[in-house]
Amino acid sequence: MSGHTQSQPVPPPSRFRVSGLAGPLLWAVGLAIPAVFDSSWVAIAAVFAIYAINALSEDVILGRGGMFDMGHAVYFGIGAYVTAILNTSFGWPIFATLPAAILLAAAAGALLAGPLMRLRGDYLLVATIGFNAIFVLTMQNDPGDITGGSDGITGIGVPSLFGLSLASQSAMFWLDWVVLGVVLLLMRNLDRCELGRAQRYLKQDELAAATLGVDARKVKTQTFALGAGLAGLAGTLFAVQLSTVSPASFVFTESVTLFAVVIVGGPGSVPGVLLGTALMFVVPQIFRDFAQYRYFVFGIAMIAVMVLRPQGLWPQRRRRA
Amino acid sequence: MGTFIQQVFNGLTVGGIYALIALGYTMVYGVMRLINFAHGDLCILGAFIGLTLLTGAAGSGHSGAVLLLLAFVLAVVVIAIAGVVLELVAYRPLRKADRLSAVVSALGASLLIENSIMLIWGPDVHVFPADLLPATTWSVAGANITFVQVMIILSSVLLMAALYFFIHHTRFGTAIRATAIDQDTAKLMGIKVNQVILTVFVVGPALGAIGGLFVGIYYREAYFTMGWTYGLYAFIAAILGGIGNIPGAMVGGVLLGLFNAFAAGYISSSWQDAITFALLIAILLVRPTGLLGEPDAGKV
Repeated sequence: MSGHTQSQPVPPPSRFRVSGLAGPLLWAVGLAIPAVFDSSWVAIAAVFAIYAINALSEDVILGRGGMFDMGHAVYFGIGAYVTAILNTSFGWPIFATLPAAILLAAAAGALLAGPLMRLRGDYLLVATIGFNAIFVLTMQNDPGDITGGSDGITGIGVPSLFGLSLASQSAMFWLDWVVLGVVLLLMRNLDRCELGRAQRYLKQDELAAATLGVDARKVKTQTFALGAGLAGLAGTLFAVQLSTVSPASFVFTESVTLFAVVIVGGPGSVPGVLLGTALMFVVPQIFRDFAQYRYFVFGIAMIAVMVLRPQGLWPQRRRRA
Repeated sequence: MGTFIQQVFNGLTVGGIYALIALGYTMVYGVMRLINFAHGDLCILGAFIGLTLLTGAAGSGHSGAVLLLLAFVLAVVVIAIAGVVLELVAYRPLRKADRLSAVVSALGASLLIENSIMLIWGPDVHVFPADLLPATTWSVAGANITFVQVMIILSSVLLMAALYFFIHHTRFGTAIRATAIDQDTAKLMGIKVNQVILTVFVVGPALGAIGGLFVGIYYREAYFTMGWTYGLYAFIAAILGGIGNIPGAMVGGVLLGLFNAFAAGYISSSWQDAITFALLIAILLVRPTGLLGEPDAGKV
């Protein structure tokens, strides 16, 4: 019996159960936010949920996939623009645009993954910066008069479910919160499924993984498609929350912030990424009076966290690969 | 023909500036394998420091040339010190850490410097004084070439020649090249690697401060996000020439300057940036080691 526990180290049962339940409990408590706080706080919580999905999707590629994606705002932007264009120009209901937003963002991710996976490390990082810049410039230059140029697209409609209009901030918050819950479940399953395992093998030793039969091309394409698709989902929610999209929301600084959220929070760690999201996207909303200091403080915080805690604030627990 | 010669001179001027800034990126990358994202912002900080001296001393009776020289000296000294502080505070503690930690620290430093400029000098565009330098222009085959252009091209060439001599014909330059090839072996050969890295963080930012001030003088303006724009272009120039390769950064800067000038002059100015980034991605895919890079540099 003791030999068994030695060969397969597992966390003590009591701690395991608490940490396994803490997440779902916190999520359930979060559902009550609109009952307790006023609408400005509910809006902040909704933005948190949207950016948490976005940051978790970046973590799929950067933290779990180990690929230096510094252009993640592209996929977020594709999702937001697809919803905005289909809703305002073609009159699609919001929920009908959702699958299109996810699929088109995922397709973009899979398509870019082809050339990107030939690059490693810093070269990949620089290429994704390039894609981000091209995306923003294209949205600004407005080819075919569909993206609205620098001003973007306004007047995005309200989602409705079974004839019920989700117009209030509370209703939108619940929508975002439920979607976040689904994404969190998905992340938990990703840890255990074939793709998640293959990602861990590849990240640790690509050559060894390849000799064990892991198809690196396939795994990397799937990783990009999954991360990009989830970002597209967050993009739809973002377009709905703001009822407007413009190129400024998807510039390179947003990609840098997402990248930093994952690395500062703890790559591959769901609580770490959520903590990072809260620090980088929610705290600035609370201290709006000091808005001009936002990136100044970010800069100091990013250096300080990396120097003092290079593994991130809440690093991933060590697991057997 | 006039347009063509005009674009060549515009391209060479901007290319010289890109090259000066690109050298800082490529030297740091060569020695530490780190993209120093804060470099562009340091360069523009240099431009703001020079600008402050120039506007502060306006009307003091000194000639424009003397003031300009003082502005360059002040900017170079302050930015070189800032470069050393950056290395000691943000990069040295992460020498042994994961690569991504250093990348995020560099991005943090970039945000910190950019926003310090914004908080000190404000978010508005600052205009450089116009009457510092002679407004002489020469007409060559229908193209107008200004005194400022000639000054920038000549000084860039001189500075690059000096750097080339320093890197290839002095003991310290040899130490830098050895460290770039293999840090551990360099250590075994008695090279003080930390000293080499500090030197790189003095020389790179010093050249960059000159480049930054040239940006301000040439376009006659400075604003706080400029470091990002010009830093990114200079970085693309460094990749074009082969990142880590010093002559490569010089060639890459000039080529990118010419490419940009012709893209803006002959194709479309609103798509100019997109074309440049497409070029960047194409280079990365076709020849990631750049034009002059060694073949094994790609194995990061």
